[in-house]
Amino acid sequence: MNETILSLEDARLVLEGNAGPLEILKGISLDVARGESLGLVGPSGSGKSSLLMLMGGLERATSGRITALGHDLTALDEDALARFRRGNMGIVFQSFHLIPTMTALENVAVPLELAGAANAFGRAAAELVAMGLGARMDHYPAQLSGGEQQRVALARAAAPRPAIFLADEPTGNLDAATGEAIMELLFGLRDRHGATLILVTHAPELAARCDRVVRLADGCIAGEDRARRVKVAE
Amino acid sequence: MTLPVAVRIARRELRGGTRGFVVFLLCLMLGVAAIAAVGTVRTSIEAAIGDQGAVLLGGDAEMAFTYRFATDEERAFMAARAAKVSEVVEFRSMAVVGDGETAERALTQVKAVDAAYPLTGEMVFDPALAPVQVFAPADGIPGAAMDPVLADRMGLAIGDRFRLGTKEFRLAARIVREPDAAATGFTVGPRTMVRTEDLAGSGLLEPGSLFDTNYRLLLPEGAAVAPLGREAVAAFRDTGMQWQDARYGAPGMQRFVDRMGSFLILVGLAGLAVGGVGIGAAVRSYLDGKVGTMAALKALGATSGTIFAVYLIQVATLALLGVLAGLVLGAGAPILAAPLIAGALPIPVEIGLAVRPLAEAATYGVLTAALFALWPLARTREVKAAALFRDLGPGRRVWPGWRLSAVLAGIAGTLVAVAVGVSGVPELAFGTLGGIIAALVVLTLAALALRWFARRMGHRARGRPALRLALSAIGSPKEEATAVILSLGLGLSVLAAVGQIDTNLRASIDRDLPEVAPSYFFVDIQPDQIEGFLARVKGDSAVSRVDTAPMLRGVLTEINGRNAREVAGDHWVVRGDRGLTYSALPPERTEIVAGEWWPEDYAGPPLLSFAREEAEEMGLKLGDRVTVNVLGRDIEARITSFREVDFGTAGIGFVMAMNPAALQGAPHSWIATVYAAPEAEAAILRDLATAYPNITAIRVKDAIDRVSEALAAIAKATAIAAGVTLLTGVVVLIGAAAAGERARVYEAAVLKTLGATRATVLASFALRSALMGAAAGIVAVAFGAAAGWAVMTFVMEGTFRFEPVSAVAIVTGGALATLLAGLVFALRPLAARPASVLRARD
Repeated sequence: MNETILSLEDARLVLEGNAGPLEILKGISLDVARGESLGLVGPSGSGKSSLLMLMGGLERATSGRITALGHDLTALDEDALARFRRGNMGIVFQSFHLIPTMTALENVAVPLELAGAANAFGRAAAELVAMGLGARMDHYPAQLSGGEQQRVALARAAAPRPAIFLADEPTGNLDAATGEAIMELLFGLRDRHGATLILVTHAPELAARCDRVVRLADGCIAGEDRARRVKVAE
Repeated sequence: MTLPVAVRIARRELRGGTRGFVVFLLCLMLGVAAIAAVGTVRTSIEAAIGDQGAVLLGGDAEMAFTYRFATDEERAFMAARAAKVSEVVEFRSMAVVGDGETAERALTQVKAVDAAYPLTGEMVFDPALAPVQVFAPADGIPGAAMDPVLADRMGLAIGDRFRLGTKEFRLAARIVREPDAAATGFTVGPRTMVRTEDLAGSGLLEPGSLFDTNYRLLLPEGAAVAPLGREAVAAFRDTGMQWQDARYGAPGMQRFVDRMGSFLILVGLAGLAVGGVGIGAAVRSYLDGKVGTMAALKALGATSGTIFAVYLIQVATLALLGVLAGLVLGAGAPILAAPLIAGALPIPVEIGLAVRPLAEAATYGVLTAALFALWPLARTREVKAAALFRDLGPGRRVWPGWRLSAVLAGIAGTLVAVAVGVSGVPELAFGTLGGIIAALVVLTLAALALRWFARRMGHRARGRPALRLALSAIGSPKEEATAVILSLGLGLSVLAAVGQIDTNLRASIDRDLPEVAPSYFFVDIQPDQIEGFLARVKGDSAVSRVDTAPMLRGVLTEINGRNAREVAGDHWVVRGDRGLTYSALPPERTEIVAGEWWPEDYAGPPLLSFAREEAEEMGLKLGDRVTVNVLGRDIEARITSFREVDFGTAGIGFVMAMNPAALQGAPHSWIATVYAAPEAEAAILRDLATAYPNITAIRVKDAIDRVSEALAAIAKATAIAAGVTLLTGVVVLIGAAAAGERARVYEAAVLKTLGATRATVLASFALRSALMGAAAGIVAVAFGAAAGWAVMTFVMEGTFRFEPVSAVAIVTGGALATLLAGLVFALRPLAARPASVLRARD
């Protein structure tokens, strides 16, 4: 569990706001090991989601270096980043972000198709069945409940068997029971596929399930707690 | 009552500006402006015709005859009833300057007048002389006036001499303004004006010559025109007399303005319908963005009725704004362009503000806005407070309910009723509106079919992400495909129709002409001249063919003893006088399709051979008896054969041919067509004109050019009206692309997150646009062809042929325009970083 799969060196993010440049992340350095589950916590506006976006290549760092699976993400252009995400990263959002013009099955098949995977639809269907959505494959997002939409999003993220799962408050829009079920599925996926999971959350009990929790405040790492779950288990 | 609350909320919402409504406002403004502008010009022309009826006609009333002067009986009738009578003779002739090799000849429309002319209005000459001064003889040579164009072409200065027939005239003045010019209608040559009495001895007004006489009547104070007209028609109709009075001073022009005006307004209405689709889409898109507000209002206790009222008030306010802007533009543009428009018209017209056409345009605008905006508006009632928590959108497109359906049907009915009532051409209005409605229905079906097809084909496209993404976007329950296909398809349909009409109009001349058209048409060849005429042309090796025929004119008055108009309706053959010929043998190149030609030496009662197609249209059979009035004499003849006659060859073609004995005694002249090599034309014309000065030569190419000019003017007016429709179409298209941009930005962000490159995203967007554009284009071509056929056949009374080049150009243009608009609005989605887009949605 010591191999570093994702590494940030002095990553900074400055966004242009209406009132001038806004420094969102102020030099983050962080290593994530293969198979590790990492929780990112902190108050609103502390930069958790931005950090996650940097890790996924959805946002470009203003300076610093981000390496994932041996690739320097800061050196890749937009399309190279998109290609890199195929099969390597599965991302889950608080608002699910399903494509509204596609059915559940089609949504799950998209990343497989983009990656040129054989039998994309068969694998997508199997993934949905595994998520308990076998009867909802031909439904459009608007016809699904919030919990169901998030399970489709999970299936979509998991279908290409990515090495890294990125989840941005995946239960934020769900009730407690549904949220709990989603988390079971998410951690189950990680355990089944031996993937790395990086999770942004406000929920302490969710963070508590992670191997390591990094606390952010005002764009900086404010502290770290390691393996509490293991301790509790002991 | 919640109305005051609704008004307050609506006002607060409108404070945010009209950003989402630019397309809405532009669509409404353009449609209303086009209709208002056409209406304003039409009303001004009609007012001018109405006000100046007597001046345009040249008197309070007119009795017109063909190829003869009025009889004593007819003259007595006029003298007894009118305070003043003026006789005007019109015919075509050749104006000639010089002699022999160097002679200049030009076709001219001669107007010969008497001392009483003009009864109304004023002739304006340059130099400023009175008619009596212009026509007064100097050195024994009578004076004449000429159209400046003709005088310049012949190189004539004031005082120079020219000949008409064998008679010499002196150019005394150039014509600046002829008050009754519009009454003449279409002419082949520019005007020369002389005194009728000065033509004596010119050889031009001999029996059998082709000329018209018009007797203008100035009635005594207080005399009613209408009863006099009925009296005259009853007394002289069967002699071929035609009655006109000042209520319709320029009937040809009035009819043209009426038809053209109605046609252009209907084109404008089609433009408004295209705009209507844009209006509907704009309202739908605006309301989609307001779901959150609606849900919040509901959560705070607003009823469905209040919410409906809030948005109805906003849309109504903006609709009024759009209509108002359209009226300002539609009334202002013709007034600003007044000098240009007035300059192009044959009568003096003052273009000004008129209430009626503006009210008409406003009515169309309000009704169209209501028709297209109410349905999406009604869906605001279905928004649930739960939309705050889930992305529900306003209700799906469902049956709008009986009450709303009834309201919509009522509005559509009113729109049809107004269009039919106001246009005055009900068939055209019904046709156009029926066409628009049919187009909307077919396009909706096409959209449904494309969506079904996209869903079916989605499986086949598996593994080709760009194509599958495009197909799933088209096939999804979101209604973008339907909206795009409707607006684009309707716009392209109108364009395709106009394109078909335009190319058909332009092509009709070329197309209807045979490979070999005659060089010259000669008319007014006297019977004693025909032999010499033939000797000259037949001996010429450059002449490939000469056709001649004796020609008389007659009015077909009765069929089997019954009034011809009752039997044949308004068929063109029974409208006015027709050419008539006689021949002992079937003319060369004649195909008898039924019955038999008479024996060569037949001398019994009159027999008749009739044109096959026209006979069929009029319901004539072999053996029917047809009465033709020739120069006041009734000739009853029995139909013994039908012939194929092609009137499109610019050669000689007669509907009716009789045996020689039936007509030979009547005064008549001959006509001839001469097919000659172009280099020999001038010499033939010179020799014939020198030998027979009374003969008029019409150069076929010149005549065709004149007709082409007239058709080009119609095509131009149509193209301008269609241009507004095109502009509306482009606005709608851009609006649709812009409205889809937000969704596109989001889709692109999600796809990139899942690993799609920009090329894949772009390819998917492009395929989507191209597929929808192609679907709309195919329907448009079919509809354009159908509408073009209908307009060419029923309005222009011409023939229609599908013009593939124009059709393909329009479909390609449509697909490209959609593609371009789609791609322009794809730039932002492609450039946007997924993180910022997705976060904004969280």
